[in-house]
Amino acid sequence: MYEQLDKRDPAIRAEIAARFNGRIPYNQAIGLRVVDVATERVVTALDYRECFLGDPGAGLWHTAVGMAAADSTCGLAVFLALPGLETIATLDLRMDYLRPAVAEQGLWIEAECYHVTRCVGFVRATLHQGDRERAVSLCTAAFMRTGKQIKP
Amino acid sequence: MSDTTDSKPVLDSSDLVAAIPYAAYLDIRIEQADDGEARVYRMPYRDDLIGSPRLPALHGGTVASLLELAMQFEVLIAEAQTRLPYPVDFSIDYWRSAAAADCWCRCRLIRSGRRIAQVQAECWQEDRERPIAFARADFLLRAVDGASEAE
Repeated sequence: MYEQLDKRDPAIRAEIAARFNGRIPYNQAIGLRVVDVATERVVTALDYRECFLGDPGAGLWHTAVGMAAADSTCGLAVFLALPGLETIATLDLRMDYLRPAVAEQGLWIEAECYHVTRCVGFVRATLHQGDRERAVSLCTAAFMRTGKQIKP
Repeated sequence: MSDTTDSKPVLDSSDLVAAIPYAAYLDIRIEQADDGEARVYRMPYRDDLIGSPRLPALHGGTVASLLELAMQFEVLIAEAQTRLPYPVDFSIDYWRSAAAADCWCRCRLIRSGRRIAQVQAECWQEDRERPIAFARADFLLRAVDGASEAE
């Protein structure tokens, strides 16, 4: 019956995303929030925390915090793009660090799963601090489909 | 990697980690390898590092974070940088799912030029011969005492 889920319905997408995110302890630990999943462009955010800094002197986030959030957000985008509730695993992920994220400001992650094959979901993401035209980092990743449906 | 400066206790690794809040958050440990030749980076297991409670498996982002931080520390120490080198890019291949256990990482500084250092890292858990992930990254170097940049 889960194959029949209408994943175009924003309310259903929001429900799936909330459950997906709530089940992942590390997302909860860093406080990753689901912001908008109404469309294929999946948006999450992290509020600034001091423990996210990589360079406290210069007041810069560590790049790996955004990467971990990008992994989760890309996974969510693929999960929402697949039929049913199929489990997935990250195959590979690449980050391009365009400019540092600055302290005291949050970080937004916008991911889009742009292609799905029988075995793989391809996804890309943009990380920014409020201005999408000034990306902090870009991410591309591939997720493997396991073929297994999550049991409710 | 044969680095003769390794034997000198140049840096206190716990101070190094403490200076980087995200490394301290993940409780990264910088340890000497059994063969005494290289550094090994360890991320002790913690429940909140889990990504999939069903398996259970560590969150891929925590493994990737360990590898990026390890490569960064490796460049910092080997190139006597005064600040953490900033990454240009980073990529990771996940070879196996990471069990709910400690992760170890070893780095290889492939090339270090005037401005860019290129590094690889491998991550394993119980069995060194069964790596769980492989990463590579490029880092921007800062001139040390203005010496190399001026040449």
